Amino acid sequence: MTYIASVNGTALAVFAVVVGVTMIVTYVASKRIATATDFWAAGRALTGPQNGLAIAGDYMSAASFLGIAGLIFLFGFDGFLYCVGFLVAFLAVLFLIAEQMRNSGKYTFADVLAYRLKQPPARAAAALGTLSVVAFYLIAQMVGAGVIIEGLVGISFPWAVILTGAFMVTYIVLGGMLATSWVQIIKAVLMLTCGVVLTVWVLAKIGWNPINLFRDARAKSAEGGNYLKPGLFLSTPLDTVSLGLALVLGTCGLPHILMRFFTVPTAKAARKSVIWAMFLIGAFYLMTTALGFGTRAILGQGAEKAVGETGNFTVPTLAESLGGDFLLAIVAGVAFATILAVVAGLVISASGAVAHDVWSNIVRRGRDSEGEEVWVAKAAAFAIGAIAIGIALLGGEALNVSFMVGLAFAVAASANFPAILLALTWRRFNTTGAVVGVLFGVISSIALVVISPTVWPGPDSEGGALSWYSLANPGIISIPLGFVGCFLGTMLAREPTAEAKFDELKVRSETGLGADPATGTTLTGGGTRRRRAPATATATMVPPL
Amino acid sequence: MPELHTDAEWQAVERSPEFRELVRRKKAFIVPATIFFLVWYLGFIFLTGYAPDFMGREFLTDGLTVGYAFALSQFLMTWVLGWMYVRRANRVWDPLAARVRESVEGTTEAGAQPSTRFRRGEVVTEHEEVPQR
Repeated sequence: MTYIASVNGTALAVFAVVVGVTMIVTYVASKRIATATDFWAAGRALTGPQNGLAIAGDYMSAASFLGIAGLIFLFGFDGFLYCVGFLVAFLAVLFLIAEQMRNSGKYTFADVLAYRLKQPPARAAAALGTLSVVAFYLIAQMVGAGVIIEGLVGISFPWAVILTGAFMVTYIVLGGMLATSWVQIIKAVLMLTCGVVLTVWVLAKIGWNPINLFRDARAKSAEGGNYLKPGLFLSTPLDTVSLGLALVLGTCGLPHILMRFFTVPTAKAARKSVIWAMFLIGAFYLMTTALGFGTRAILGQGAEKAVGETGNFTVPTLAESLGGDFLLAIVAGVAFATILAVVAGLVISASGAVAHDVWSNIVRRGRDSEGEEVWVAKAAAFAIGAIAIGIALLGGEALNVSFMVGLAFAVAASANFPAILLALTWRRFNTTGAVVGVLFGVISSIALVVISPTVWPGPDSEGGALSWYSLANPGIISIPLGFVGCFLGTMLAREPTAEAKFDELKVRSETGLGADPATGTTLTGGGTRRRRAPATATATMVPPL
Repeated sequence: MPELHTDAEWQAVERSPEFRELVRRKKAFIVPATIFFLVWYLGFIFLTGYAPDFMGREFLTDGLTVGYAFALSQFLMTWVLGWMYVRRANRVWDPLAARVRESVEGTTEAGAQPSTRFRRGEVVTEHEEVPQR
């Protein structure tokens, strides 16, 4: 095989360290997890700061670590718009979703719907929303992993995809959410450290004045003054608005992010974890200014070829120019850790939808044992991993990654977000509303992306399959359609139980009355035998690692 | 797990003055704060889309655009509103929520010992954090 010739030895060593450390964590976690709460919610025993780091690690994918800096390098200001949307989204999460999830949910956001709606249809709708988001997001990440690892380390695309999938499934099957959380925490620390090192290095190069980033970048861009203006990447105003909406509302419907709020003991810890995530994620996105504009300022037009068409290799190119082969290898290792942490989070949320929602509550109607539920979850994680590897290999490197991530956010904002928000706030809302809303959201966002110019470039590369439709991001149409579906469905049927149970959900979600307790399981101890341990036990535990 | 059994029992809590007070206080912050952040954020998005020349204008110093300064203000807004939310939650809403739970459980939560509930005679344990007073 030819791939051995071009393997980067240093990068491979860094990879081995990342894999080694995460595997040790997974091994320790595998000895600790005993219950379904341990498997899906890490015993609900993470602290606020730990979960904040894990949210940052779960949320910031390769698109954040490599993609945004690439867009900024290529197109200037427009790339930074993504940072703003991705960050402001956490205000919506904090205000409307986070504590309510912890107070009234167990393992999946469908639990929250199930308090007042009819279980089988509501859970089926939530599972459909979850699996649609995960499918698009996961395949995008897997293809991205293959391309990036091939480019940075020299392992060929198919092997890179298979390795990524294999590690991801191993984390989950052996260590569940406990291992996944710590993989995400390790990744967040690595990524933020890497960002700080590169940012300080860039600032040193340009004379410590951040404004020089813009002045030098403008001077070295072929676009001149336009480089600092909007419009080079997002040239259709309505598309910009549509993207902006999907970014800010999509996060509230991302199942792998919602699931993270079940891993803390109380609503107060959930709140604290969002604040930590806000500061960590915001700090990293601020640093993309130095990474993106900085690469332009330092390397100029010369780097255009090295960063690739999508700009994904901007940060590695910058790292190589600053710190040579060694820093490049570090960045490659961090990129690998980044992808592993995100795909593991995605797959465990999908396994929750399959095992907890579909199998346990729809097929078995709650008559299965906890052990069976976890067994099905592991089998589901294995199957989902295998399917994702298969599709990534079939679709290959040509699969358009950015449109799939955009689609994942659009589905999350259009299908999951309206159902969750209305279940928590609208007394009249009912099962039909949830089902119709999720269907409207999923179908409209997928259909609109399929006919969009991103998927079917027209003969003159102008417009999509249909001349009258040119939106690349469906959000501005599909999000209102999701809400309309919820409204119309609700009006079609009268469901007195859903209205009567609204009081229960409201009291539970606002006060934490009757919230599912922590088992106290952490990496360093506690838990397994003390299923009903008080939540306060966490206060006395030694912080893991 | 502690459960109030009937819808009527949950409804009684929902209608209690303690719970209404909690919801009223939360809404008084969350509704205006949500409107504010959506307007400020969508204002940024609309101007980026429809007024690129304005957003590209440089001010204060050579190289700093209105658009980038506006984007930075979004970071600041997120952090400040997040901090304000947590401050209110810790000082005002948490004690109110604890009062609602106490009124249901019929016991104070001080000491965070698993407490025994009174309703309908069943014995259930509940675990809560010590309320911050």
